[in-house]
Amino acid sequence: MRHWCVSYGLLLRWQVIRLAAVLPVVLVVQAMMAVGIVVGFAFLVPALDPQTALYLSTGAPTVTLLTVGLVIVPQMVAQAKLEGRFDVERALPVPRLALLAADLTLWLLAVLPGVALGLLTAVLRFDVALRPGPLVVPAVLLVAVTATAVGYALAHLLRPVLAVLASQVLVFSVLLFSPVNFPAERLPDWLAAVHDVLPVQYMAQAVRESLTAPLGGVAWTPYAVLAAWCLAGLAVTGAAMARRR
Amino acid sequence: MIEIRDLVKVYRGRRGTVRANDGITLHVGPGEVFGLLGHNGAGKTTLLSQVVGLLRPTGGSIHLDGCDLVARPALARSLCSLQQQAQVPMVGITPRAAVELTGRIRGGGRREVVRRGAALAAALDIERWYDTPGEKLSGGVLRLVSFAMAAVEPGRVVMLDEPSNDVDPVRRRLLWQEVRRLADEGTAVLLVTHAVAEAERVVDRLAVLDRGRVVAEATPSALKGGADADLRVELVLPPGRPAPVLPPCVHDAHHSGPRLVARAPADAADAVGHWLVGQQRTGAVEEWHLGALSLEDVYVRLVGEDADRAGSEEVHRAALVR
Repeated sequence: MRHWCVSYGLLLRWQVIRLAAVLPVVLVVQAMMAVGIVVGFAFLVPALDPQTALYLSTGAPTVTLLTVGLVIVPQMVAQAKLEGRFDVERALPVPRLALLAADLTLWLLAVLPGVALGLLTAVLRFDVALRPGPLVVPAVLLVAVTATAVGYALAHLLRPVLAVLASQVLVFSVLLFSPVNFPAERLPDWLAAVHDVLPVQYMAQAVRESLTAPLGGVAWTPYAVLAAWCLAGLAVTGAAMARRR
Repeated sequence: MIEIRDLVKVYRGRRGTVRANDGITLHVGPGEVFGLLGHNGAGKTTLLSQVVGLLRPTGGSIHLDGCDLVARPALARSLCSLQQQAQVPMVGITPRAAVELTGRIRGGGRREVVRRGAALAAALDIERWYDTPGEKLSGGVLRLVSFAMAAVEPGRVVMLDEPSNDVDPVRRRLLWQEVRRLADEGTAVLLVTHAVAEAERVVDRLAVLDRGRVVAEATPSALKGGADADLRVELVLPPGRPAPVLPPCVHDAHHSGPRLVARAPADAADAVGHWLVGQQRTGAVEEWHLGALSLEDVYVRLVGEDADRAGSEEVHRAALVR
């Protein structure tokens, strides 16, 4: 375990030094995107009722976290493959998932200020009452780790061009065809049934409830489903990362 | 120390299969610099990638002090340090950070890697760039930095894949000294290089690979045939003059521009020497050299001058990028 933690710390330091010059730009762009999702999606709906406002406000952080795992991380892996950095990192004596954890930590830290700014924008724009509780931490971590595990597996198993394409298709599906920014009832039955199995709607629900503390209490099903997806994703990713061709 | 037996690596692709390694057997001991020579695509990089666990062998075994490295790739990564053929992208990172962090990641103590990193920078004469961001460094300096990254915490085996590419002649010498020092400290060094003449001075033994097979393995002097080996005869002809008729004992002549290179038996040294002096006096030859065969001569004879091989290199890269 000590080897894992030391490797993680050193890899994180390596990534921070490597990306120090671009991180401020990423921070600003991510903040603009998080605010943009809240403001921009509101244009699609002429009359915002409280429920729609709530879904848009709490959907923005979920979408941002999904973007980290499904877009940024796979694109970084694809770029590393093309630059030759991928094999240099793979030849280092570090646990495979420590590489994933270091990447995830860096990008998570880079987007969290944007997430906070997006929520603040939602409160000011829609007058939504948010009551974030301690469950925000496990909810954010479960969403980010699960998405990153999927993104990493894609990036390791597919060629760089295909991995980037797949990540864009995924984020497009999440934005438009997943019950993140709107309730699942608006989807056709078959698509709603598909989302009963996929983790996306549980991600949105976990984040939403951790930010609003609903009167009926927090549902635990999303956490259980996400934990299962997270473990399965990490297992597949770990195997994909350890795979020798 | 490291035992490679009957190693086979087959790449399967749309255009058929390539046997990049085809039954390679090698042994490298502690303190030994072992050279791997061969054309592009001979299977050298594929061999190193299997030792360090980036590729899975199709057949055969790799053991380090009895440990099965094929079954334990994590152990392989910890015991073997690899300088890869591709340049390490170092945008935003100084050589100091790269060397020290790599040393720490490879299990070195903080003070030790700082000390060793600084010593390597001094020995390779790259101190003045030690704190310069990677994007401002030349290819040769970056190559030396990536050598230092592999050497700072070397483990039991250091594998260097063309470490002298892009490096200037003076620093190449410093590099070879450091390679020798690594071995003298007890590390086994596997060195892939195309700088055959320079490799001759640093390696203890070497193998020549051709189409995935070892076609020769010996010390440099044994490969050259020892004391009874042929001599190398080199003539430089005046511009526009045809080559003179060679004595019967001079054979295997090759022209390259005004230069003619051939071989002669060692016991004909006196006769050939006299003939060369005579040719220069008559003006038929502008300049001449008579000496021992170089390793490069032997290498070219072993693998031929045909560089257009069905190489594994492109297939290897495709396999790793996927």
